[in-house]
Amino acid sequence: MLIPLKVIVALSLVWAVIALGLQVRAARGGGRLDRSRRAGSPVRGIAYSFTVAMRPRHKESVRRHPFKFAVGVLMHAGVILSLLAVLLLLVWPAAGATVLSLSRPLLVPSLAAGLLLFVRRTLAPDLKAMSVPDDYVAILATCGLLALALLYSIGGASEVALLIYTALFFAYLPLGKLRHAVFFFVARGEYGRRLGYRGVYPPAAAGLG
Amino acid sequence: MSADERDGRQIAERARQALDRSIRGLAAYHLNACVACGLCAETCHIYQAEPEPANHPGVKAGRVIRHYRRYHTFLGKYAPWLVGAQDLTAESLDELVDTVYGRCTACGRCGLHCSIGLDIAAIIRAGRNVCAAVGSVPEGLQRTVDNQLETGNQMAITEEELLSTAEWLAGDLQLEMGDDGVEIPVDRKGARVLYLINPREVKFFPLSLMAAAGVFHAADESWTIPGKFYDVTNYGFYSGDDESAGELTRRVIERAEALGVEEIILSECGHGFRSFRWEGPNWMGREYPVAVRSILELLEEYIESGRIKVDPAKNAERVTLHDPCNLVRWGGISEPQRRVLRKVVTDFVEMTPNRKDNYCCGGGGGMLSMSEYGERRVASGAAKADQIRATGAKIVATPCHNCADQLIELSKKRQLGVEIQAVVELVYNALF
Repeated sequence: MLIPLKVIVALSLVWAVIALGLQVRAARGGGRLDRSRRAGSPVRGIAYSFTVAMRPRHKESVRRHPFKFAVGVLMHAGVILSLLAVLLLLVWPAAGATVLSLSRPLLVPSLAAGLLLFVRRTLAPDLKAMSVPDDYVAILATCGLLALALLYSIGGASEVALLIYTALFFAYLPLGKLRHAVFFFVARGEYGRRLGYRGVYPPAAAGLG
Repeated sequence: MSADERDGRQIAERARQALDRSIRGLAAYHLNACVACGLCAETCHIYQAEPEPANHPGVKAGRVIRHYRRYHTFLGKYAPWLVGAQDLTAESLDELVDTVYGRCTACGRCGLHCSIGLDIAAIIRAGRNVCAAVGSVPEGLQRTVDNQLETGNQMAITEEELLSTAEWLAGDLQLEMGDDGVEIPVDRKGARVLYLINPREVKFFPLSLMAAAGVFHAADESWTIPGKFYDVTNYGFYSGDDESAGELTRRVIERAEALGVEEIILSECGHGFRSFRWEGPNWMGREYPVAVRSILELLEEYIESGRIKVDPAKNAERVTLHDPCNLVRWGGISEPQRRVLRKVVTDFVEMTPNRKDNYCCGGGGGMLSMSEYGERRVASGAAKADQIRATGAKIVATPCHNCADQLIELSKKRQLGVEIQAVVELVYNALF
């Protein structure tokens, strides 16, 4: 039972990787050669975009909403850890189970954070205005993964259930909002590249004071 | 099918084709990345002034994203209700116009502070590309583009008018500088520098042009203004009409080649700098044969090299600096103007925030040419007005004529009591 399930999870992951890869390629659309004369370094721009630019001191949205940001980070940390642990379960069951067991102190607040984000989305007028059904599906799917990982870690859910859920999670990943797992890196990288090319990134001085 | 329905479908099809073209490359990355977290709200000066969902950057981006999803994603095609995907229709285009022209200046501040790193301004511009392709650009903005295409400049100023203005300004300068050799050359072959100006300088702000001419003379520069295609602005950039924007750029480059200049210097203009320096070569599909710089960079060079001597005591009042979004956040020119101001004024203070993080004044994105959004534009300047007031400055140095128009109006309506000046005016005033 477990081995075929593990194969299905692996195939589901392969599907997600291929589908997302094709989406990134399609989004690139052959790319565009920038014919303007370069004023800075695209590489330094990308590096800045993924490091200093992400620090709360440099990001007004985080400075204004530190709690909301922390809640988001907490949820994402739990999701990433859960997925890594499940992947470990596929090839090294004992290690995967140990990681999930050790992750319990993180999974509890992570799940709480996910539920809080869901509630916030249903109540805040601005968020409701910009939300579509997939936004709610994505957060619930994430909470489901966290809940199952947590239950598994305390012996309340079977490995079969966790593997089936993970396979479905990977299958849905490239279709809706969850694809930001890849497009986050692509978009931020492209943004940094362009601002680096123009000499905006890295800035000569901090502008937020 | 009625004629109206047929027209509606044709418009929708053209809009869809424009969307396909405009998202290729960078915009599509960002269209796929938004998580609708909502944290960007207050980074937007328009939302700050009117905190309603329609002004939220995430909602504005969503108005474009929903059409992208309909045609470019699996769920958008087969389960549009799930991802909020929507067909491009005549009705949805009306909503799109209000969003991408009337509620966003594409200043890009939200993108800079987005938790993902989403270029919302690129998404908004993709929306403008769509509107431009189906003739839905607001009338005032389209008229400005048409003026540029038909007459060579956005204000439809004739060549004779330019020549007579150049003549009387040169005459005034000769008196002021006590030097009969001062001139404002037009279409001079073999000049080193081709200087592009904002037509507003000819019509409403001659002091800027006069100051630049005075500084060029003091630096013993070899320069000229082109007789016809001297307009540094490019309203095709604002309207989303890349074809027209490319045509306007091409004309200037061809004129520069014909006159044999070594470099093109752009007068103080935010979107003009971005359009010409960064977007133009891509619209034209070729690299420029000459270098392009902002006058701010040249002013710094003059001062640093000693080609002009300045006395900061001549500008004794407190001066602050406004950062035009397209010049600084999108153009990378943030320090030359600061180094220049520190040399030509005695009391320079920064706004907070500043540089790439500065607030849009509200006059960007072509807002000044769209009278239907006038009230919203002035209201959206609240953040900038507060910034200026907090500095206690008497003069706001503003390297952009669009911004200058907006700041002059803000100063009047919000009793800021400040004078708006171009950086070159302060430099000219400080000349020995």
